Order: sequence, then C-alpha cells, then structure tokens
Amino acid sequence: MGALQASTIERAAVRGRLPSGIALGLLTAAWLVAVARAPLDSVQGVLQKILYVHPPLAFAAYLGFGLAALGGALFLWRGDEAYDRLARSAAEVGVLFCTLVVVTGPIWARGTWGRWWSWDPRLTVTLLLWFVYLAYLLLRAFTEGSERSARFAAVYGIAGLAVIPLNYYAIDLAGGRSMHPQNLESGSLGPGMGWPFLLGVGVALLAFAHLLARRIEVESLRARLAERLARAPRGPESSDPEGGPWAT
Amino acid sequence: MSSIRVEARGLEKRFGPLVALAGVDLEVPAASVLAIVGPNGAGKTTLLRILAGLARPSAGSVRVGDQRRDRRAARGVVGYIGHATFLYPALSARENLLFAARLYGVADPAGRARVLLAEQGLDAVAERPAGSFSRGLAQRLAIARGLVHDPEVVLLDEPFTGLDPGSALQLARRIQRLRADGRAIVLVTHDLAQAAALADRAVVLLRGRVVHASERASAAELESAWRAHLGGA
Amino acid sequence: MSVVAAILWKDLVTEWRSRDRAVAMAVFALLVVIVLHFALPAGRADELRRLAPGLLWITYLFAAILGLNRAFALELENEALSGLALAPADRGFVFLGKAAANFVILGAVQAVAGVFFGLAFGVDLLAVAAPLAAVIALGSLGICSVGTLFSAVSVRTRYREVMLPLLLLPLLVPVLIGAVEASAGLVESGVLRWRPLQLLIVTDAVFLIVSFLGFEFVLDE
Repeated sequence: MGALQASTIERAAVRGRLPSGIALGLLTAAWLVAVARAPLDSVQGVLQKILYVHPPLAFAAYLGFGLAALGGALFLWRGDEAYDRLARSAAEVGVLFCTLVVVTGPIWARGTWGRWWSWDPRLTVTLLLWFVYLAYLLLRAFTEGSERSARFAAVYGIAGLAVIPLNYYAIDLAGGRSMHPQNLESGSLGPGMGWPFLLGVGVALLAFAHLLARRIEVESLRARLAERLARAPRGPESSDPEGGPWAT
Repeated sequence: MSSIRVEARGLEKRFGPLVALAGVDLEVPAASVLAIVGPNGAGKTTLLRILAGLARPSAGSVRVGDQRRDRRAARGVVGYIGHATFLYPALSARENLLFAARLYGVADPAGRARVLLAEQGLDAVAERPAGSFSRGLAQRLAIARGLVHDPEVVLLDEPFTGLDPGSALQLARRIQRLRADGRAIVLVTHDLAQAAALADRAVVLLRGRVVHASERASAAELESAWRAHLGGA
Repeated sequence: MSVVAAILWKDLVTEWRSRDRAVAMAVFALLVVIVLHFALPAGRADELRRLAPGLLWITYLFAAILGLNRAFALELENEALSGLALAPADRGFVFLGKAAANFVILGAVQAVAGVFFGLAFGVDLLAVAAPLAAVIALGSLGICSVGTLFSAVSVRTRYREVMLPLLLLPLLVPVLIGAVEASAGLVESGVLRWRPLQLLIVTDAVFLIVSFLGFEFVLDE
C-alpha cells in the first residue's frame, strides 16, 4: 500500500485536467455573455448582477468545507493518506471561495443599502465558516508531525461541519436583520435571470472542482516523489540527523 | 499456542514524505529479552509506539499477546515503561498506582497498589508526592505503574537514561526478573553494554529497517555492526 | 465507567491540593467583570440588565478558556497524557472524565463570579438562581465538551495556549447565543425561553457525541 496506490479521485483529477480546463473556459465565456445580456434590475442597477457571482461562490465555499470534513472522516476511518490530501486541498481551495463570498457580500450591501456590514444572518454564518476554515488551516500549519496534523484537522473538520447548521439556527434566534434579497427564498428569479444564474453556479462549481483537482494533483505528485526517494538506495552518509521525523 | 508473544510482519509507518518504518519483522518469545539499538531517528520509538497500541501502522501486521486487530485490547496486555514516567507530581506514590490500577481496570486497585509498593521497596515513601522523588525513585515507581496490570509483554524505551549506576543495576536486575517471570520484553536502548548484557536477541534498527540481528551478541559485536551500517548503503 | 470516576477523582484531588487553576480562573473572571464595568458608560439599571447576560457569558467564556488550557497542561508533565493513551480503556471515557472535571471546576468558578457579577452590575441573579443554574450548566456542558477535546489538541501544537481560543470560539457561537438568550429571558422577565434552551440541548448533544468519538483519534501518537 502507500501513496503509490492513488485513489480513484486522484486518478480522475489528473486525467481530467485538460477536459475540465477547456470546459471551464467555455462555460465562463458563456456565463459572461449571459451576464452581460441579463436585464438590469430597475432598483439596484448593475450591482444586482452580483447575484450571478455571490451565491454561486457560496455554494462552492460550503461544498469545500463539506469535502474537507468528509475527507477527514474517511481518513480517520481508512487511514488512506489520499483522503487527507483531498481534505487539505478542499480546505485550501474552499477558503478562497469563502473569502470571495465574504468580500462580495458587503460590496453589494454597500452599493444597495449604503452599509458595508449589517450582520445579515446568511453572511454572518458564512463569516463564521470563514473563521472555521482559518482555524482549520492554522491548526494544520502549527501541528508538528504530518500524520498528527492530519488527524487533528480531520477531527476539527467534523466539528466545524456539525456547527454550520447549529450556527444557522443560532443566528436566526439572535435575530439579525436580514438584508439578503427575499426572492431567493421564494425561489423565483426575475425573467431573463435564470440562465446567467445557472451558468454562474456551473462556473463556480466547475472552477472549484478544477482548482481542487490541480491541488490534489500537486499533493499526490509530491507524495509519490517522496515515496520514490524513500525507497531509492542510499549513498554513504557521514552522519545521521539528530532526531528523526518521529522523534519527540 | 506458540510461545511468540510479540510478532510483527512488514511493519511500515509512513506519512507523506516521511518514512519512520520501512518494513520491520520481529519476533519476541515469552521469557526473553529483545534489545533494539539504533541511532536517533531510526524509528525505535515509532516501533515501540505501534507495539504499544499507541499508533496505527501504515502497512504490515502486528500481534501482541493474542491480540491482532484490536488495538485497545492489545494495550491491555502491554506494559510500557519509557523515559517519561507518566506520573502525576501532585499525587502520592500510592495514589499514582491506585489511579493507574483503576485506569487499567485491575480488580482490587488498593490491594494491587499495596503489593506493588512493597515489591519495589517504596513503602517508606508511599504517601509522599511523586513530584518530590529523585530520578531513581521515580523510575521505580514508573516501573511499578507499568506493571500494574501484570502485562505479559513489557516494552522499555530507553529506561536507563539519567540513572545513576546503582539504580541502573537495580533496573537491570528487575528486567532479568521480569524475564524469569515469563514475560516477553522489548528493550530499546542506546546503551550497547546493557543491551548485550540483558538481551537474548538484539537487532540494529537504521532508518526504519532492521539491518542486523543476532543472538546473545557481545557489546563489541553490536558496536561493530552499528558502525558498519552507519557508514554503508 | 470507573475510568471516568478515576480520572474525575484524580483531576479534582490534584486541583484541590494546589487550587491554582480554580483560583486563577476565579481571579481572572473577577478582573474581567471589573474591566467590563469600567468599559461601559454609566447607564440606567434597565440598560444594564439588558446587557448583563451577554457580559456574564463573556466573563464565563474567558474564564473557561483559561481553565481549559490548564487542564491538559498538567497532563504534559512526565508525559502523563501518553500514560492515558496507553490505557486499554475506551478513550471516550477518558474524555468524559476530563470533561467532567473541567465542568465541576468551571462550575465552582461560575458560581463565585456570578455572585460578584450580580453585585457589580446591580442585577439580582439570585431571584432566578435555580433556572439560571440550569442554563449555566447547559452552557458549560457545551463549552467543556468541545473545549476538552480541542484543548487536548491545542496543547500539542506549536502555539498551545493561543491555538485553543482560535479553534474554540467559532464553534462556541451556538452555545453562546443559546446561553445568552436563555439567560436574558430569565434576567429580564424571569421566563425560561424554550427556543434557546432547545438550541443549547441540541448543540450539547452534537458536541458531546463528536467529542466522545473524536477523542479516540486525538490521543493517538
């Protein structure tokens, strides 16, 4: 066993590089066209078009953390390093999308309501998710020993995932003033908004998947290289390093 | 029932670019001592941790006592004595043993603590806080703690570190008595002389692999084996 | 289960002999109350009563984090934590023992700090002492469960004490909100609101399960 036996995810990630890259390019082009042609909202003007950017990014941000938690759980269960690579990559890509969500939200709010931040429930929970992401990545960075770091992060990922629905309920209870457009709740967008929105979601998810795959690819290549180096016959060494990788 | 109480086959421990163990095979029969020597970073502590049930191997199998898959049950038959004592300084010697006995689910913890204190000659200091003990005294208490559940396998991780010659002699005698009791003992040590004196079998571990194994080796033999492998491929 | 009792006994006896953790937590809590008092502009009694629950829980939260950091620091001496990891006991029970000890010590500190808080802010907490104690207990349960789990984690990272609040605070938001809203209902109108209580109970259950199961993986080396 060992890192050479890549999981199917990793193989798919590597093989899908060109097709997903092309698809992403095409889809983004289509999306840009659709956004440009989408009708201007009478009240909000151009700023309303953030609808085609912000929610799709949010889907990806939440998906990212879900995958990080899932990857961690699978790693704890199976012990296969490939799952930890998935978790780490998902978290690194996901935090990027989460940052964009937390940035585009206030941009829209400022333009429409005149205030940068208003403790809107959905945005607040996403901000909390951002902090969970950050804590997750800091935990990985500051734990010595990569296996220990993987285990700790996996446990934190699961706790972080469990807290998301709890946070939604909690923030709702605390009664933040919702500034999110209500049309999303009723599930009906205006005419001419359907396509750019759907394409936007497609672009965001595909971009997430593509970046995730690239990240996984880098990590798995790194692991395979390390394994090959470890198995290679060694030349004479003058001295052994003080304290090996597992020394405490 | 074979008399091999500890068996490891193809043990590997790796994560990412780091390889701690690259395929280790071991056998330790009952009533014998296996010494593991090697430089820092060779993987000795990792190996011991896996045998103790503290870590999962990446590959390979390990059997401790009759336990193969259940790490938790394996921990129940293993006594671990490291260079850290696992003692709570605020608790007395008796309380430390009492706690360990309850932790291991020993029947009649108080009685067991009494027996162990007597065995190790700690009756005089039984009520003193463990934090006030000298290194030798603490080591004796740590040994008592490690044996609280009467384990058939005893793992010792560099136990001679920091001991004065008197205490070291006592420890060596203790190990011989454990061996005579029928336990399977694995002794990790830097001290080639002690390894040679105490061990029935000795292996040299280097970069996660067993590079040399011998029966009843002398210290000189171990030393030359070590040097030979440190210089070569 | 005797493992739980053994660990609870050990932690409480150790704490009783030195009392350093509880005293430090209590003094810190009192200082926080005083600082909060000076930080707020002088206000009318009803204004203070509205703010009181939130301020009380800030005090409790900070004291708890201080205490949790210490909880596993004492296990690092002589690598006692490894001693716990070596035991054949189900590690979930080891977790319960530690969490229970944290809960008891935190509870003692909360009682003292609560009385002082009531005096400092002129809020009569004793009138609703019984239901408030229940709310505080539920809140502490949430804090001590994931708090114990992640203090075992943070104590083995490079920036031990700093890591714990970073890990814990994003997770504790539901506990904080539930506890504050429930306490607010009691302080303002003597009524125990159901919705925040429900949030607390659900959160506590989720956190207890995650911590109980997760501790297995946290104790490995």
